[in-house]
Amino acid sequence: MKRSNRKGAIVRRVIVCRCEEITEEEVRRAIREGYHSLEEIKRVLRTGMGHCGGRGCLRIIARLIEEETGIPAGKQKFPVSRPPLKPLPLGLLASYQYEQKNR
Amino acid sequence: MSRRTADALVIGAGIIGAATGYYLAREGLKVIVLERNFPCSGSTGRCIGGIRAQFAHDLTIRVMLKSIRMFQKLDQELNEDVEWYAGGYLFLAFDEERKKSFLQAIEIQRRYGLKVDFISPEECCRIVPDLNPEGLIGGAFCPTDGQANPFKVTYGYLKGIRRLGSEVINGAEVTQINIKGDRVVSVVTSTGEKFSAPVVLNAAGPWAGDVARLAGVFVPVKPDRHEALVTEAVERCLEPMLVDYRADGCYFVQHYGTGHFIGCYTPVPIVPGHRIDASDEFITEMPRRMIRLLPKLATVKVLRQWAGSYEMSPDGNPICGKTPVDGFYVACGMSGHGFMFGPALGKLMQELITTGTPSIDISEFRLDRTYAKTETMK
Repeated sequence: MKRSNRKGAIVRRVIVCRCEEITEEEVRRAIREGYHSLEEIKRVLRTGMGHCGGRGCLRIIARLIEEETGIPAGKQKFPVSRPPLKPLPLGLLASYQYEQKNR
Repeated sequence: MSRRTADALVIGAGIIGAATGYYLAREGLKVIVLERNFPCSGSTGRCIGGIRAQFAHDLTIRVMLKSIRMFQKLDQELNEDVEWYAGGYLFLAFDEERKKSFLQAIEIQRRYGLKVDFISPEECCRIVPDLNPEGLIGGAFCPTDGQANPFKVTYGYLKGIRRLGSEVINGAEVTQINIKGDRVVSVVTSTGEKFSAPVVLNAAGPWAGDVARLAGVFVPVKPDRHEALVTEAVERCLEPMLVDYRADGCYFVQHYGTGHFIGCYTPVPIVPGHRIDASDEFITEMPRRMIRLLPKLATVKVLRQWAGSYEMSPDGNPICGKTPVDGFYVACGMSGHGFMFGPALGKLMQELITTGTPSIDISEFRLDRTYAKTETMK
């Protein structure tokens, strides 16, 4: 995304996590502050905590971590993805009759 | 094996380890926090962020009054917006027995100056306009209780530790605790390093029993599973944390800054063990319980469900203090209240470690107590 500020200069503002509106710059700053894992960046910036559950941003952030620290994206630990796969209304979930199974 | 020395080692970078480590570092001690995984990876990062002084146990109330005073100023202390917000806590009563237990607790709470009242169903609905009052006979309400962001608070303390010249090391699991005579002298970590210090604090949350065993100390902490969910962010419609103590009740709050609803319930019977898997039962049962209290939530979407451990002590009160091994301290057994206790117990543990006499006498929370007096407002 490109947008000009009042002085007319071009400022680059790349959104990495669309759900929580976190920019590439914010992610890079967090990595430079010492947060070198997806789990920590998630806790510091909320990336992956929005509607998509990290499907949109985690791979991009893993690459940014690789660029900044040299830790290969493939070697990084990805946060566990939590149900539901997509957001569902409380009313719909409440209407589902769960059958008691062994926990 | 590389060797490092410090004035104090803290095992665990959850809220208790982070807060205690910070106050020790602020006293000028060289602190090293050893975290097995990453900060907030245990119970703290899975909690829903409620903060209250409405308890039934005298000492717990006093500690929480101190903690709330500290939360109110934590932004300035840590130079970090920790999202503290005094939205209050509203405990709902649906039968006379519950009302009686709330009234008894209120009597104790007021002795310590807490502003708390038992209010009518109409007043409950004034505070929570969307509340379904069916079957409600009243509620215990305290407006000075509130909420904060567990990640912001914990990471804020850890940043403070680094700013003060001390250290936080991730991925370092303590695998050995060395004792000479009756004194703790050093620990060894999974990274193959040896850390020597005259003080070692066990703040390992649900794993505190395992860590204590490394020093030959028995700590009666058992994890049990609590599940939670968070919804999408919506327009503000709930100020306080709502607590419904019925067997099929739940508790939830709307985050002040963002508008997400976040909540959980205590399963009956309890689910013992450190289990962080998510259940189908919870994701269908919790929405029913939430909608029963706030019908308008039916259209709000659930983003995510997860689980974490309450680290239970036998009486539901924290275990804080010395152990039979000199220099080896313990602060655990928070029984679901670690985040809210964090600032105050962190400060009090620091005072115990550096001066021997904390400003609030917490000897009732000592390890070698009888565990007979249980907390009724769990």
